[in-house]
Amino acid sequence: MTHATKAIYRLLLSDYVKVSKVSVEDMLFDEQDILRSMDKIEVIDFHQTLEVNGIRFWCYTAGHVLGAAMFMVDIAGVRILYTGDYSREEDRHLRAAELPQFSPDICIIESTYGVQQHQPRHVREKRFTDVIHTTVSQGGRVLIPAFALGRAQELLLILDEYWSNHQELHKIPIYYASPLAKKCMAVYQTYINSMNERIRNQFAQSNPFHFKHIEPLNSIDNFHDVGPSVVMASPGGLQSGLSRQLFDKWCTDKKNSCVIPGYVVEGTLAKTIINEPREVTLANGLTAPLHMQVHYISFSAHADFPQTSTFLDELRPPNIVLVHGEANEMSRLKQKLISQFDGTNTKVVNPKNCQSVEMYFSSEKMAKTIGRLAEKVPEAGESVSGLLVKKGFTYQIMAPEDLRVYTQLSTANIIQRIAVPYSGSFEVIKYRLRQIYESVETSTEEPDVPTLIVHERVTIRLESESYVTLQWSSDPISDMVSDSVVAMVLNIGREGPKIVPVEEAVKTQEETERVAQKVVYALMVSLFGDVKVAEQGKLVITVDGQVAHLDGRSGDVECENITLKERIKTAFRRIQGAVRPIPLPSS
Amino acid sequence: MGTSVQITPLSGAYGEGPLCYLLAVDGFRFLLDCGWTDLCDPSHLQPLARVATTIDAVLLSHPDVMHLGALPYAVKHLGLSAPVYATEPVFRLGILTLYDYSLSRWQVSDFDLFTLDDIDAAFQNVVRLKYSQNHLLNDKGEGIVIAPHVAGHDLGGTVWKITKDGEDVVYAVDFNHRKERHLNGTALGSFVRPAVLITDAYNALNNHVYKRQQDQDFIDALVKVLTSGGSVLLPVDTAGRVLEILLILEQYWTQRHLVYPIYFLTNVSTSTVDYVKSFLEWMNDSISKSFEHTRDNAFLLKYVTLIINKDELERLGDAPKVVLASMASLEVGFSHDIFVEMANEAKNLVLFTEKGQFGTLARMLQVDPPPKAVKVTMSKRIPLVGDELKAYEEEQERIKKDEALKASLSKKEEMKASLGSNLKASDPMVTDASTSRKPSNAGSYLVGNVDILIDGFVPPSTSVAPMFPFFENTSEWDDFGEVINPDDYMMKPDEMDNISMLGAGDGMESKLDEGSARLLLDSKPSKVISNEMTVQVKCSLAYMDFEGRSDGRSVKSVIAHVAPLKLVLIHGSAEATEHLKMHCSKNSDLHVYAPQIEETIDVTSDLCAYKVQLSEKLMSNVLSKKLGEHEIAWVDAEVGKADEKLTLLPPSSTPASHKSVLVGDLKLADFKQFLANKGLQVGFHMQIW
Repeated sequence: MTHATKAIYRLLLSDYVKVSKVSVEDMLFDEQDILRSMDKIEVIDFHQTLEVNGIRFWCYTAGHVLGAAMFMVDIAGVRILYTGDYSREEDRHLRAAELPQFSPDICIIESTYGVQQHQPRHVREKRFTDVIHTTVSQGGRVLIPAFALGRAQELLLILDEYWSNHQELHKIPIYYASPLAKKCMAVYQTYINSMNERIRNQFAQSNPFHFKHIEPLNSIDNFHDVGPSVVMASPGGLQSGLSRQLFDKWCTDKKNSCVIPGYVVEGTLAKTIINEPREVTLANGLTAPLHMQVHYISFSAHADFPQTSTFLDELRPPNIVLVHGEANEMSRLKQKLISQFDGTNTKVVNPKNCQSVEMYFSSEKMAKTIGRLAEKVPEAGESVSGLLVKKGFTYQIMAPEDLRVYTQLSTANIIQRIAVPYSGSFEVIKYRLRQIYESVETSTEEPDVPTLIVHERVTIRLESESYVTLQWSSDPISDMVSDSVVAMVLNIGREGPKIVPVEEAVKTQEETERVAQKVVYALMVSLFGDVKVAEQGKLVITVDGQVAHLDGRSGDVECENITLKERIKTAFRRIQGAVRPIPLPSS
Repeated sequence: MGTSVQITPLSGAYGEGPLCYLLAVDGFRFLLDCGWTDLCDPSHLQPLARVATTIDAVLLSHPDVMHLGALPYAVKHLGLSAPVYATEPVFRLGILTLYDYSLSRWQVSDFDLFTLDDIDAAFQNVVRLKYSQNHLLNDKGEGIVIAPHVAGHDLGGTVWKITKDGEDVVYAVDFNHRKERHLNGTALGSFVRPAVLITDAYNALNNHVYKRQQDQDFIDALVKVLTSGGSVLLPVDTAGRVLEILLILEQYWTQRHLVYPIYFLTNVSTSTVDYVKSFLEWMNDSISKSFEHTRDNAFLLKYVTLIINKDELERLGDAPKVVLASMASLEVGFSHDIFVEMANEAKNLVLFTEKGQFGTLARMLQVDPPPKAVKVTMSKRIPLVGDELKAYEEEQERIKKDEALKASLSKKEEMKASLGSNLKASDPMVTDASTSRKPSNAGSYLVGNVDILIDGFVPPSTSVAPMFPFFENTSEWDDFGEVINPDDYMMKPDEMDNISMLGAGDGMESKLDEGSARLLLDSKPSKVISNEMTVQVKCSLAYMDFEGRSDGRSVKSVIAHVAPLKLVLIHGSAEATEHLKMHCSKNSDLHVYAPQIEETIDVTSDLCAYKVQLSEKLMSNVLSKKLGEHEIAWVDAEVGKADEKLTLLPPSSTPASHKSVLVGDLKLADFKQFLANKGLQVGFHMQIW
């Protein structure tokens, strides 16, 4: 949340805890819980971009109350705008909701006022000031139940200005009655930079929230109820607290007025008196006649239909999700929006609570190939191999050598060396290795130490009479080779000198080839069944009447059925991988 | 190929001059800072003058003279008209700093390089940004994103990140990695491998490590002087580092219950603190936290008195006190005057909290050993009296007359021209074709053409008879009477606002303190008298580093951490620049540049890159491993081409095997931990190869 929201959050909830009259057990949270939650809150300033797990988000001014924000969330290029409560009308201290620079893919928008249209602001302000002026000039008292923070400050600005312009009212006091009045004002006096140009310009002269005609009032005990006055008191619903105390006191006098300045929750006394009943129940349970005049002048800063409609028209989001509104009103808004965007590809949904809306976006995944891999832009058909590095939602392809240059990651090598006790002849090891591996070379780098190199991966050295060492640089194949070598060496040690090294004829190339072909044939039979051997190492495979010719050496397949061709190819590739698990250094 | 990047220092390279650099990113020319010295010598701005008109955008990083002092002059005289980008505090405090600067100058000289109006005009072009706000540039700079990030050092201080095509150019000068009383440490450490890092070598040789003890020593030094009956002068800047010093003083005065008065004296001190109070969002977390919890604004100063002229100090006389006065260089301003007053008392102390600018009085006093005496020019602005006043008035009168004459002449010319053109209009009665028929507008029409009446009526040569302007009221009537337009009678929503807007300036008018305003508005003719005098420096002098910059060692480690591909060093003495250059060149990967003034260096990255699309088919076969915030996989793919776009498809044939790659840092200690977790007792053998 924004800085101002965090400050207000704290005050508003503390105020709520203080004025709510429920017993301790029914209390959902207390002051301590609020304090604990404060540490969890991360603040974000308007337009500041934050990134969490590759999801970027930032917020725009929403114009609803001080610190109100609309959030834009960017997940892998798909943008979602959540307006929250917003208003496109600039008022005395707040900026109107901004129009985001980019069009979002989904716009989640509030629909509190649905298809209704507000009276223009100046008309509402005039009604408001007129009601108050008439009441106080007739010697009555005006009660304005409102939340301590938020719209209250806008009303105070209106009142302060009106009083400044009307000399004759100067002797009538305005009270801003909330246990938190002073602290609230501190918040508003500080976060001037979240407000509109008008206020900021006034700030250059003097702080507009240092009111000249409005006094804070901490409790009803300090209030001397003599003669006309204007009191703004919390809570806004008249459930309890100061506003209720004053209401009980004043409701029977028809000279008095009560101005309800905004949205009130169903079930509260404020909602009840809007319908002007004859009698009301006081806080002490008694019934009293309601004589005071009740006016409902809404200053709640929510967008009305014209605002919503132009806002969406300028944004042009392909998907609109309506939230926060009364069901009927919402459906009417939906119908109107659908007809407005008729012909365009705009979808409007209004999910119920707990009903999830699923949308699928397939975004093109783009990768940037950088570094030495990108020295030449490849032509179609060429192959690219490298590391694909994904951070957040951006992909990069690079050569392993460049990893260190373009990321914070680095490549590493593990060189392993193991000493295995062995006291036999080195020739035995060499003989055994030759039986297993195709490439076993004798190294002559150090003449005194007999050394063997297997597949250019694992080096085996006879370090002394009692042990040999193996050294290799870790990778899956080398690990496997060295494992087998270790097992073999240990086996020789256990079997003792039973085996006599006999120089055997070196296996010929053709022989190896023949063995390999036999294996290929056997595996192919097990896979495809009907396999015949043709000339020149070719295999003829028949599956369901489809005939394929496989060249056992090159792996080329001739077949009319493409699916079968692919299958045989893959099978052959895998068989080859099994027959020759270790690529020969020469190949 | 990568984005082309060129850098040309215009000032402040291989030296500690003011900061001003030209950065061209793919032809878009940024001016990075626009600084001047306290001496304000226009000849320093020669290099800027040559390029000022070609600049596309100006980025400001700190609200002090060294970073933005030349902006008004450049806008007024050098034709700099590009939009300026700065954070809100840099914008506000920058204006205040320049007000103070200009007023201080004006009091002692006929300062005419720029006026307060010029400052307002220069800052009118400022686009105000928030920290980490990604701002996209338009038109010529299409595709370039600029974002300010926290720099520490000053309130609103900025490290600029300029991004194009995924390549970052970071401009970070005077950053501070350390968290202070009112500021967070810089966010520079969170940048990873930018293509270019431009940073200063200012503190490269200064390995002074900040200790908590330093605050203590600072206060002890003050208290010692105060208890022995002396006064302390702290020459400070207008709205930068002084904020931190104010908080230190507040804190210790509270802790130790000290009663000595503290004065903060600049031309704009009260508005500075007023604005600073509303910049909580820009300060460090503990300040905003304390505000959220207790509503205590850290800048509600209890012990510091804000004053805007010396009256109160003079009333106080010789009593012990602490005075923070601008400018830090002691060249002009209140600090200059107070220094002269305090210098010849041995019990007094002048404590410098930052290194003086080169060639200023403050720098002279900071040498070791300090000079016994210094020459200063005492200047004063006094109102004109007697004959001088008379002469001045006559002069003014004459000028006025001349102007009036000229004006009337030119007006006549205009009149003739306009009448001439109007002759073409078919109706000779209407002198202006655009005349509205609405009666309400007729009034303004008359006002607009009032010159006609004053200068006499010149009949159009073609007109039949001379005639005064006449407007016919042509209201329409129908069966119900005059046709009215309801809009004329509607109360306009704006009107109500306008009432209250009266008197609230036009937005750019920042608040001036009353005293200064009086001084300015006071158009009484005045003159400046100066006399040179020699001041015996008997008072003690001290220097303590409260500059709020990272020291040499930290700068090196920050550079190593950020690990740019190319590093450009600026703003530091030749020695410091060379030292840092040598140090950083040790790293073979890093290209280090240290350009001279007006030397253009090309730091275009030699990075090759092309974009490819990753096909769904390929990606479904890729198994990636998570490593920290990265996910890594090996891909073998075949390139497909469609509409000039490259796409990676799964390979059609068996790819050549590749050497396996091991990614990540290996530590035996981690391995030991792993084994221990598996229940194996392991210990390191004494020697690990």
